[in-house]
Amino acid sequence: MSAPVVVLGALICICILLAALVALRVELTRVRGGKILAFLAFFILPTLAIWAEFSRQVDHAETTQFCLSCHVMADYGRSLYVDDPSYIPAAHFQNNQVPRDHACYTCHTDYTMFGPVRSKLRGLRHLYIQYLGTVPKPEDIKLYTPYNNRECLHCHQGARTYEEATEHHKIPDMLAQVKSGKLSCISAKCHDTVHDIPDLKGATFWKPAS
Amino acid sequence: METNGIERRLRISGLLIVTGLCFGLLTLLWTHPLAFVAFAVFACPLVLFGVVLYLYSLLPSDTSK
Repeated sequence: MSAPVVVLGALICICILLAALVALRVELTRVRGGKILAFLAFFILPTLAIWAEFSRQVDHAETTQFCLSCHVMADYGRSLYVDDPSYIPAAHFQNNQVPRDHACYTCHTDYTMFGPVRSKLRGLRHLYIQYLGTVPKPEDIKLYTPYNNRECLHCHQGARTYEEATEHHKIPDMLAQVKSGKLSCISAKCHDTVHDIPDLKGATFWKPAS
Repeated sequence: METNGIERRLRISGLLIVTGLCFGLLTLLWTHPLAFVAFAVFACPLVLFGVVLYLYSLLPSDTSK
């Protein structure tokens, strides 16, 4: 259990005890000190606790562990360990080019003003499908929209390895075309090996040293 | 009578807040995708109603004028 969870749990326990005390001994509020205690127990602390837990729940929803907790996503998690550098997600994950504990969210959120909100709403839809809908096969899962270069360029734009790579100058104005979205990073026969779930059966997997 | 009315509302608001926070504690410790849903559907509204009822109980009623 992480330290923030322990602190938040302690805060909630204190709130519960204080609110229960005031609710059971409500005559305490007849005096000034009791009124202040009630204000703390019924307004300040519960508001703080709920806000903190909401923030923690939202943060937790961005973790790799959370995304992979649905069975249908297990193969996508396995694809991060494929021992083949041409697998783009695996190469990023294994070389710490994305934070491993936020690997899915780092690449699959839109880097726009409302991108994170849209991601959360889609997450709620995924929960609905997981528990009340028809869960598709892993290989049938598709992106809502074609993968936007913006998500790649969020990190790679301006990086020397990206700007000066010989392969990125094979055609004139290649970088400009990538930036404008005319040329897709992952579907222009360049970095087109992504999760490739159907091919996982014959793949070899990297085992990180524990 | 008025004091009893206020105290009754305070007691109800306290119970709502305690119940909501208990749900909040459970969803905090439950690492499952449904924990977020349980938090949003049960814990948040219960605490919110409790806080609103507490604030409402602070308003002076007509009989106290």
